[in-house]
Amino acid sequence: MTDRKPAPVQGGPTEVFMHERASATPNGAASLRETRPKSTLKRPDLRVVGAAERAPLALPLRDAQVWFASAITHPESAAAGDDDVDRILTSTPRMSALDRLGIYHHAYRARLVECLVDDYPALNYGLGAEAFEALASDYVTTHPSRSPNLNAYGKAMSAYCHERAAHTPFEHHAFAADLAALEWALVEVLHAPDAKTLAPEALQAIPPERWGDARLPKSAGVRLLSFDYPVNAYFQAFRNDAEPEIPEPNASATAVYRQGTLIWRMDLTPAMAALLASLFGGATLGEALEAIEAAAETPEALAEAERSVMIWFREWVQSGFFATIELPA
Amino acid sequence: MSNRFQIANLGVGLGLRTTHYAHILEANPKVDWFEIISENYMQTAGRPLAILDRIAERYPIAMHGVSLSIGSTDPLDWAYLEELRALRERTNARWVSDHICWTGVAGRNTHDLLPMPLTEEAVRHTAARIREVQDFLEAPLVLENPSTYVEFASSTMKEWEFITALCNEADCGLLLDVNNIYVSAFNHGFEAAEYLRGIPLDRVVQMHVAGHTRHETHIVDTHIGPVVDDVWALFGDAYARVGGASVLLEWDAEIPDFEETHAEALRAHDFIAKHATARSALAGARS
Repeated sequence: MTDRKPAPVQGGPTEVFMHERASATPNGAASLRETRPKSTLKRPDLRVVGAAERAPLALPLRDAQVWFASAITHPESAAAGDDDVDRILTSTPRMSALDRLGIYHHAYRARLVECLVDDYPALNYGLGAEAFEALASDYVTTHPSRSPNLNAYGKAMSAYCHERAAHTPFEHHAFAADLAALEWALVEVLHAPDAKTLAPEALQAIPPERWGDARLPKSAGVRLLSFDYPVNAYFQAFRNDAEPEIPEPNASATAVYRQGTLIWRMDLTPAMAALLASLFGGATLGEALEAIEAAAETPEALAEAERSVMIWFREWVQSGFFATIELPA
Repeated sequence: MSNRFQIANLGVGLGLRTTHYAHILEANPKVDWFEIISENYMQTAGRPLAILDRIAERYPIAMHGVSLSIGSTDPLDWAYLEELRALRERTNARWVSDHICWTGVAGRNTHDLLPMPLTEEAVRHTAARIREVQDFLEAPLVLENPSTYVEFASSTMKEWEFITALCNEADCGLLLDVNNIYVSAFNHGFEAAEYLRGIPLDRVVQMHVAGHTRHETHIVDTHIGPVVDDVWALFGDAYARVGGASVLLEWDAEIPDFEETHAEALRAHDFIAKHATARSALAGARS
C-alpha cells in the first residue's frame, strides 16, 4: 500500500480506434469455417412450397427473408445443408448463385468481427489477429445482434472469453477476459451520459464530526474494475506502441471515467480499490475506512493509507467519481 | 430545388466520419453540409452526441440510416423510430434517409443492406411500411437504391421498375446512389443508362458518389478510395437528368485526411458546372 497516487492516464477509444458503422460492404471472398456451432435461425421447410424439382422457387417474402438470413449467418457456409440456392437466386455468366450469396455470407461475419476489432484493439493485438478472429467469429455465432445499432454489440466479450474457454480452450483466456472488461468499460464510458457529480465545494460544507456517517454514491459515469492481471498497464503499453508481452497474473484495479469528451483510466492501489468498492457498495465513509484497516497488510501501510485518504478524496471528487454526498438527517 | 418535395439543395457535402472530428472542430472548414450515419448517434448519450451537437451548430446535417429495415417482414421498430425522430429534432436534420432493403428478420439484425425480391408483394409490403414511417416522421422518407450482389429468381421486375412502383405507391423521396447503380449494373448485367431513364427523377432529393472495389467477377461497394472516372461520368449524366440535388461523397475505409477527402467530394462541381453550362446554353438557344 502506498500514498503515491497513480496519475490518471487519458485515453480510451480514440477517433483512431472508433471506426463507425457505415453502409459499405466489407471486401473479400466468402470464408468457410468448419468447426463452429450450428446457427440457430431455422430455415423454412421449402418442401411445403411444392415447386417442381430444380425449377425456380418463388418463396413468399417472409420465407425468402428467413431463408436468406439463415444462409448468410450460417457459421460454416451459405450453402450448408441447402440444395435450393440456385432455385431461389439467379446465377450470372460470371458467378454462380452460391458464389453471389457467399458475398453476403462473408460480409455478415466480416462486418461484425470488424466491429469487435474496433472495440477490442488491445485484445486483438494481445491474442494475435488469427486467435482474435477465431474468438470474434465464435462470438458472432453465439451472439446474434438484436439491436438496430452496434454500439453495444461487443458487451459480452469478457464473459464470453470464460464461456468459450470452457468448451474451446484457448491460450491466455483469463487475461483476455480481464483486458476485454477494461476495453469494454472504455466503450461504455464513451457512450455514458454526462453524469451528475459531487462538486468539490460540497466537501468543505461537511463538519468533520459528520464525515463518518457520510455516504458517497457512485457517479453513473465511472467504472471501478478489479483484475487478476495488470491489464491497464498492458493497455497503456499497447497505446504507446511498446509491443507489450502478455503479463503474468498480478492483481490490479482501475477506475475508468469520462470528463467532457476525454476518457481517463486511473490505476488504484488495493487500499484505494477497497475504499471505493465499499463506498460504491453503499457503505458510510466510517464503515469504508474500517474496511481499509481490516485489509491493511502492515501497520505502516495502514498509517500511510490513513494519511493519504484526504488526498485520494480530493482527486476522486475532482475526477467526478461520486454522484453526491448523503448525510443522515 | 428540383425535387417535388421542395427539399433544399444543400450543395456538395461529405459523410461525417470520426477520423475527421478533430479537424472539423478545430479548423472549421468550409463544407456545404454533412451526412451522418444515424445509428452512430443512437443508443448513446456520451461523446458521440457531444461532438455531433457542436458540428450540427455549424453545418447543415442530413441523416442517413442503415437499420430502418423498411423491407423486412418483422414489425417496424417503434423504439428505433422514436429515437430516430428525436435525433432529427436534435440535429435539425434536413431529411432522413435509409435504404431500399431489409437488414434482418426474426428479431435479428444482420447489419447488412440485404436485397429485396423484386415482386408485387414486396412493393405492397414495403410501400405500406414507408407510409407508416412517413406519417410518424411527418416528412418524406428518402430511400437509397442499394448495391446488390444477388437477384431472386422470383423477381418479376427490374430494379428501376421496382423503385418506380414503390415511389408511386408510397410517395417517398429517393437518394440516388450512382455508384450503387454502377456496381449493380456490373453485377447483374444491366445498362446504367436504362436504369436512369427508368426511375422517377423528380423524387431525387440527394445523390451519393463513392469508391468501390472491382474483382474479376463482381464489384463490391466498399466505399474505399476515390470515385472512379466511370462513376463520375455516370454522376454527371444523372445530375443533369435530375436537374440538381444535394450531393455527397461516402468514403468509409482507408479514409484519407479531411482535405483530401473533401477535395474528392468537390470534384462533383466539375460535373455540376457542365450541367449548368449546358442548361444555360439550352436556355440561350430557346430565347
